[in-house]
Amino acid sequence: MSLAIVGIAEVPTKRDPERTRWDMLTEVCIGAIRDAGIGKDDIEAVISVNPMAQPQMALDMALGRVPEVLGLKGCKDICVLNAGGTSTTNCLRLAKYFIENKQAKFVLVPHTTVQSDIPTEDLINFFATAPLDMQWEYPYGVTFNGAMGLITNRYMHDTGATAEQMASVTVSLRAWGALDPNSIFHGKPVTLEDVLGSRMISTPLHAKECNFLADGAGAMVVTSHEVAQELGKPAAYELGHGVRFTGATPVLRDDPYFHRAYRESSQDALAEADLGIDDMDLRQIYGAYPFTQCSALEGYGACAVGEAAGIWADGRCGPGGDLPCTTMGDATGRGHTGSGVSMAFYLDTVRQLRGEAGERQVKNCHHAIVTTSGGSVMNAATTVFGSEPR
Amino acid sequence: MSDYKKPLPQVEPYTQAFWDGTKNGKLLVQTCSDCNARIFFPRKQCPECWSTNLGWMEASGKATVYSYSVTYEGVEAVFKDDLPIVLAWVDLPEGIRMQTNIVECDSDSVHIGQDVEVVFKAVTDDITLPYFRPVA
Repeated sequence: MSLAIVGIAEVPTKRDPERTRWDMLTEVCIGAIRDAGIGKDDIEAVISVNPMAQPQMALDMALGRVPEVLGLKGCKDICVLNAGGTSTTNCLRLAKYFIENKQAKFVLVPHTTVQSDIPTEDLINFFATAPLDMQWEYPYGVTFNGAMGLITNRYMHDTGATAEQMASVTVSLRAWGALDPNSIFHGKPVTLEDVLGSRMISTPLHAKECNFLADGAGAMVVTSHEVAQELGKPAAYELGHGVRFTGATPVLRDDPYFHRAYRESSQDALAEADLGIDDMDLRQIYGAYPFTQCSALEGYGACAVGEAAGIWADGRCGPGGDLPCTTMGDATGRGHTGSGVSMAFYLDTVRQLRGEAGERQVKNCHHAIVTTSGGSVMNAATTVFGSEPR
Repeated sequence: MSDYKKPLPQVEPYTQAFWDGTKNGKLLVQTCSDCNARIFFPRKQCPECWSTNLGWMEASGKATVYSYSVTYEGVEAVFKDDLPIVLAWVDLPEGIRMQTNIVECDSDSVHIGQDVEVVFKAVTDDITLPYFRPVA
């Protein structure tokens, strides 16, 4: 028995402080339960993504308000999990445990984040301090963008990737986003000149290669493969999973741009699924910064080390390409919703496997590999999903 | 120096010797007396063998740039007067890699593989931060 995602709902990623956390959360929870075609009281557990930088909402969720607000009378327990960007992945792992141990038939996994009502200075501080070491990094003015700039420069040095090739990653991600009504960049593609001409934030990262903080919410209903088949509707079936830890502090990692973590986590996931990387119709890579889109392709073994940036530059990973990657747009092409980016990755993967991705639909999409990461990529958590159970 | 508004390192009892070192113009690398590991950042125990039989060696002060990033925007207000800030990871021949800033330099000329040397800046009475500058 393994996990299946049978219901999803999402509110579009925007910056709109008029949409409150609870307003969005209620909408997506009801939407996901209705999408699954079950009743509200069929939900037996709520495992929530911790909303980062929003302490009141985190407490509300941790102390049980979600099932109360929704009137989930069958709910046996709740839990909030926090691993930054891999929080949603952890929610799925715990949901799988509940389901496999017959503690719950259906689990609701919700997320909500509003960042547009938080002062910019506080967000810079949060994203600078949360994943960085307070003794050995923070006193030097390291920000999240700065740490990723350090990694990107070394990645480019070692692989020979050029600034134009790296900028092309953002062009492709924004091309996906431009086609996606859930993206804050819907209808707003960018050119190579736009990316390279945008303000330099932390070399080599231009403004358009950094994250745009936004608001969003999403929810999933998950169950077992068997129950998903009984429901008789298209679903995303988890076929394999693997994860590797890289370390908390960027400067200390011996796998600086995560080739090894991507390789080993994907090998574990693919082995469990009894599939190969070439069997994947879609690669969804959550790294939040463009180099991860290249490094993951190389780590997966989808191409040789040093080839990925050129593949992106050739447009092969964007709309119409033969190696579609990250139709979700990643944080740079979709908007960064805190710990909710990985939620949006899973939701988009479900849409693709159900054939509901509209203009972004990958043809004959039956298998997808999804990698999420937390902190400043402290880990790579890779899952293989299929449109059919094993 | 007491008007220093930028974040100070949050010193732990077992890292105090490092900061005492910088205050006295010495860059210290923590060492394990049992397994000979060179340890950064300093720990209460050796991360390799969990020995608490730890010591310190004085580094030569030389280093090589492993990577860098020049930050122009997006820092907290207290860092704005310092922009552009040259972030760097430097490799010490003693076997550790640390986060620092490259100072006293043309920010456009900083590059991977560049030879740099430590320079100490007392920012408060208690804290002296080790920075690096290009070797002349």
